[in-house]
Amino acid sequence: MSRFEKFLAGWSFRSSTPDYAVGDVIEVMVTGDEGDTAVARIGDSTLRIEGAPDDAVNTRVLVAVDAWDEASHAGTGTYRETVGKSAF
Amino acid sequence: MTDPSDGDPTRQTGEESPGDEPPDAKRPGADPTGGGSPGDDGPATPVEGPALPDGGSQTAADDFDDGSGDDSDPKINFYGGKWASTIPIAFFIFWAIIQSGVLGIGDTNGLVVGALIGTILGMFFVRGDWKAYADTIFEGMTQRVAATAIVAWLWAGMFAETLQVGGFVEGLIYAADALNVGAATFPAAAFVLCGLLATGIGTGYGATVAFVTLFFPAGVLIGANPVLLFAAILSGAVFGDNLAPVSDTTIVSAVTQDADIGGVVASRFKYAIMAAVPAFAAYLIMGSVLSGASLEGSAALRESATAIGLVHLISMGVVIATAVAGRHIVEAISWGLIVAVVFNLGFGLSSVADVLVFTTTEATPAAALPFVQVGETAGVGGSLYSGAIGFFPLIVLTLLIVSMAQIMIRGGGFEAIQDFLLESVATNVRRAELTMVLGTATINGMITINTAAEIAIAPYIARIGEKFNINGYRRANILDANTSALGYIFPWAGGVLVGYQVMVGPDGLGAEYGPEMVVNPIDVVPYVFHGWFLVIVFLIAAITGFGREYIPDRTSEEVSRA
Repeated sequence: MSRFEKFLAGWSFRSSTPDYAVGDVIEVMVTGDEGDTAVARIGDSTLRIEGAPDDAVNTRVLVAVDAWDEASHAGTGTYRETVGKSAF
Repeated sequence: MTDPSDGDPTRQTGEESPGDEPPDAKRPGADPTGGGSPGDDGPATPVEGPALPDGGSQTAADDFDDGSGDDSDPKINFYGGKWASTIPIAFFIFWAIIQSGVLGIGDTNGLVVGALIGTILGMFFVRGDWKAYADTIFEGMTQRVAATAIVAWLWAGMFAETLQVGGFVEGLIYAADALNVGAATFPAAAFVLCGLLATGIGTGYGATVAFVTLFFPAGVLIGANPVLLFAAILSGAVFGDNLAPVSDTTIVSAVTQDADIGGVVASRFKYAIMAAVPAFAAYLIMGSVLSGASLEGSAALRESATAIGLVHLISMGVVIATAVAGRHIVEAISWGLIVAVVFNLGFGLSSVADVLVFTTTEATPAAALPFVQVGETAGVGGSLYSGAIGFFPLIVLTLLIVSMAQIMIRGGGFEAIQDFLLESVATNVRRAELTMVLGTATINGMITINTAAEIAIAPYIARIGEKFNINGYRRANILDANTSALGYIFPWAGGVLVGYQVMVGPDGLGAEYGPEMVVNPIDVVPYVFHGWFLVIVFLIAAITGFGREYIPDRTSEEVSRA
């Protein structure tokens, strides 16, 4: 991202329920789990993450989006790798 | 991404097939340290079909059933349960409210004592061996978040003080004089110029003192309204505190939210300018509406004005451009510092001794050197020295606050408060952002030293924001804008107090010019336009989603380098 683009980033009204396309590989914070499956809540959208480590909550992971339902703003993805953790 | 409003996604690779199975994906056999690094063992879990949870109907609490991370396991047991682990920081906040809010004492060293007593008090509630409690103090103090802020403050302090001794304020006064600013437009000019100074030196308190000392009397003497002028100076301080890459609040906001300082400054420009433009207009309008004090005299302070002081706009620009370009903040400020020293010495704005001086009590051959002098008391001085040590009280306070927060984390109190907020208040992304805005504003409204308040609330902003995957830049902007704004509005706010002290001190403006030169702090509250507008901008942004970015949208460029 260029210096100019850094100043222009975010000049828009962002949806509270972002949607993603199948094939996107995105970095998300794992925010909780549902049984054995890790979950990342992105705004008010939900991404279930298959194959994430047991202790993935509060870590930042790369996820490949496998399916996404734009009506319910929810989808599933596959864990790729852990790239960071919570700021605290 | 299919959301048309999406920003600039990273790692969006259309060629990835939906069924790609990572070679290192696994659930069992996770890294017990929580690292979860690539290459961990364990079999891959097959990807299930699109059995999707209804994200819209779930509450945050449903999703936020925390795992078994280290932080969620209390390691210190307290009499009274996990809530007792909040005693140190609760006592500190109570102390800060009494000291600053009730007694009106804006002394950071006093807050240090409050933090020390609070830390000792908490120890008496620990079950069993107190060693774990003591170890947690060290654990908190050695966290990277504190060290990073401390390093940045030391560099920023040296830079700010070097600009001060280099006649930057006198240059700004010259600019106002050259532009023929009159009584009605003086507050608007003060807002812009104080904003420039604060953006350059990074300390709103320093800019307030400098402007109330030199610019305020000049304005009142030519007929500007004192209340409006003082409020305009405070607004300029808010602007600089919020936007400057070398500001203590900017640094704290970035490092606590895992964001790089240059990127944070660039991303918050839009909020700052949206509040600053109407604030400037409001000062122009109110400058014509409100009458000035009737004082005889001339703007004698213009004699101190020097055009060459404006050369430090370049020093400022070097820091801002270098930081926004993605260089480490230490590198950015170092370059700015070198340029400022060269300008000071090259243009005769200051002597070598103004920048660095060793004072000896006896004349020695070394006294011939430009940075050695003979005086009554031996010591080291100059802008590099005083700029760095000026942050020492805040550094000690920061270490103590971070250690108290760590005690709360190890005792389970942090998670208890977080769970309450997430289950009862921040149940969707809008409410989460509103909670972040109002929570930051409230604690900064209560505690005089806004950086201390910011450090105390920062972990909650991080965790609440992360639970909705709100980007670190956005979290840092919410944190810093409301910290900066509320630090200069209410009568007990540190920024207001330091300016008021210049007016009422023993050799203050009141003693020199008369009571017309003293402003009652309560009177300025409604007129700190930039502060109020900044809070309003963020309330609207939280409700409408303006400027909102999620973690998947983009990552910080240099988190590891702060």
